[in-house]
Amino acid sequence: MTFTNCRHLNVAMVLSLLLLTVAQISHAADDQRAKETVDRVASLFSSKSSIATVKMQIFNEDGQRNLSMQIWSLGDKVLVRITNPQDQAGTAILKEGSDIRYYLPKSNRTVKIPASMAMTSWMGSDFTIDDLVKEPFLTRDYTIGTSFEGKRGDVAVYEYTLTPKPEAAVVWGKIVLQFRQADGVPTWQGYYGEDGKLARELTFSEYKTKSGKVIPTHLVMQSADKAGSHTTIDYEDIAFDVPIVAGTFSLPNMNR
Amino acid sequence: MSGRLLQLAWRNLWRNRRRTFITMAAIAFGYAMLLFVACLMAGLRWQMIQNGTCLVMSQIQVHAPGYYPNRSLQKTLGGRQGTDVSAMLASIAADRRVNAVAPRVYGYGLLSAAHRSAGVELMGVVSEQETRITTLNSQVVKGTYLNARVPKGVVIGDKLASTIGIELGSEIVLLTQAADGSMGNDVYTVVGILHTGLDAVDRGLVLMSLSSLQDLLHLAPGRIHEVGIKLNHITAASTVAAALEVRLAKSLPVRVMAWPELAPELANYIQFNHGVTVVLFFIFFLVAVIGVMNTMLMAVFERTREFGMLMAIGMRPTQVIGLILTEAAGLAVASLVVGATLGVPLLWYLQVHGLDLGGATGEVVSVAGVVVGHLWYGRQDFSAYSQAAIGLAATALVSALYPAWRAAQLRPTEAMRKV
Repeated sequence: MTFTNCRHLNVAMVLSLLLLTVAQISHAADDQRAKETVDRVASLFSSKSSIATVKMQIFNEDGQRNLSMQIWSLGDKVLVRITNPQDQAGTAILKEGSDIRYYLPKSNRTVKIPASMAMTSWMGSDFTIDDLVKEPFLTRDYTIGTSFEGKRGDVAVYEYTLTPKPEAAVVWGKIVLQFRQADGVPTWQGYYGEDGKLARELTFSEYKTKSGKVIPTHLVMQSADKAGSHTTIDYEDIAFDVPIVAGTFSLPNMNR
Repeated sequence: MSGRLLQLAWRNLWRNRRRTFITMAAIAFGYAMLLFVACLMAGLRWQMIQNGTCLVMSQIQVHAPGYYPNRSLQKTLGGRQGTDVSAMLASIAADRRVNAVAPRVYGYGLLSAAHRSAGVELMGVVSEQETRITTLNSQVVKGTYLNARVPKGVVIGDKLASTIGIELGSEIVLLTQAADGSMGNDVYTVVGILHTGLDAVDRGLVLMSLSSLQDLLHLAPGRIHEVGIKLNHITAASTVAAALEVRLAKSLPVRVMAWPELAPELANYIQFNHGVTVVLFFIFFLVAVIGVMNTMLMAVFERTREFGMLMAIGMRPTQVIGLILTEAAGLAVASLVVGATLGVPLLWYLQVHGLDLGGATGEVVSVAGVVVGHLWYGRQDFSAYSQAAIGLAATALVSALYPAWRAAQLRPTEAMRKV
């Protein structure tokens, strides 16, 4: 009698264990897909390596300013050099690992930028220096949850809500990521403050295929507290996985 | 009669000299003590207001509305178009209560030396004008203050210099977000290092010429953030600020703030110090009063027999009271004169030499974000002095009145039998 009872118990246990594992596997698959998608968004414009020509337009109460830049990236190294307007031309940022350096042609000096300054505006635009040179560690610092699935306008999208992990040192209360179901390319990204209010939003459009990769080539950044201003970025040209000489990401080259 | 009363009172005072001197000593010492306390407290308040306003802040500041306290780069006087700076300065200086005026520009930036960098506050001043309203120039411990010979010279705090490892003559790069959004940057030479004892200044301020900061920030020459004002009498600061705001607002929108509004923690401290002074003064006053009352009471009670005798030979009770009060008043006045005579050298010493608080260390003392310095100077507070004098004299009279009244109530035979 006791023996049978025991066996029943065992069967029940094995069954429930089995069910649990299956659930976990499917959950893990979901997680994996979410992580891959988010990682792809985070490294949208870099890939293994990339060379891009970018035009930035800054609109604010003073009017409009244009900046042209060239951006090289290889692994975790990024070099941004301003090519226009003439009085700013030659100004460059070099990011290696977590170090960010500025090259200032007017002073002919290279200056290391503290992390706090990397979170301030780049050239008076709505983008920060970090936005420009740093891939955010979205999957490391945030927990990903699906918050919406369906149509926004006439595009079928997924929407992920990224909430920071307790130990993550990040500035946002949450990030909402919207991307097309068809190809996983982002359409909209909202940054929310600690208070849950939308702080700034990045809208992607004008999708083009570059080096076999579909990317949005028109980005608009709008800060919530600056109604009269916004900044656009246009990728005039971008090539992925191109060979880049290692010396590109060096101080001498930066100062050239 | 009153002439005789005075004569009698005078003789009485000299009859028992020891008693008179003890009473006088009590009043005089009490008065000197009160003078000392009042002088030190007034000195502390004055020193704090002076140091708090004269170091960097100035007594009154004129800004564009909304500029203070966030110090947004774009909010210059007269808006983005700026204003005619010299005309504005002249118009402020036209007020006769104004002693001196100086224009200022502020910014934030990154100071970068060979190996390290630090975030700093940039302050642009015209040195000839600035030195008339603040004393930063006298805090330079190495090198010189800003001067025309080195147009791109900067003066920085000693703590900033040591943290980022720069010395006199070092070249530094200042990097900032300019008014047009671009990266303002240039190379400067450190011409002076200052030490104020105030951490915010010693650690975070870079002083440079107004025009070179305007260049760095890409601000037109007509764009300044602030006009600092020094008055002839700081006590008028709030009144003058209000009047200036009304007058200047006719030509361009401004906000004029006096030091109590600019440094509320200092204003609060001054008010707190006033309260403490009143309490402290009251305690010292009570001590003095008890001493005076005691000696007066004893001195008059002691003489009950004498008053009985006077009444027995025909003096009326009111005359007895009159006599005692006259004696007391004479004694009080004489004692206060003695007390003041004792006090004057003390007050003079406090005002001229001060009390040394730092002692051997020579470290500066700062209270409520203001450097007091290690010397505590006194300052004359005549209203407190006269209040103390009136208070002590009144105490002497009141404490004489009670035993006098008691003595006058007695029948002469009874009074004479008292010891």
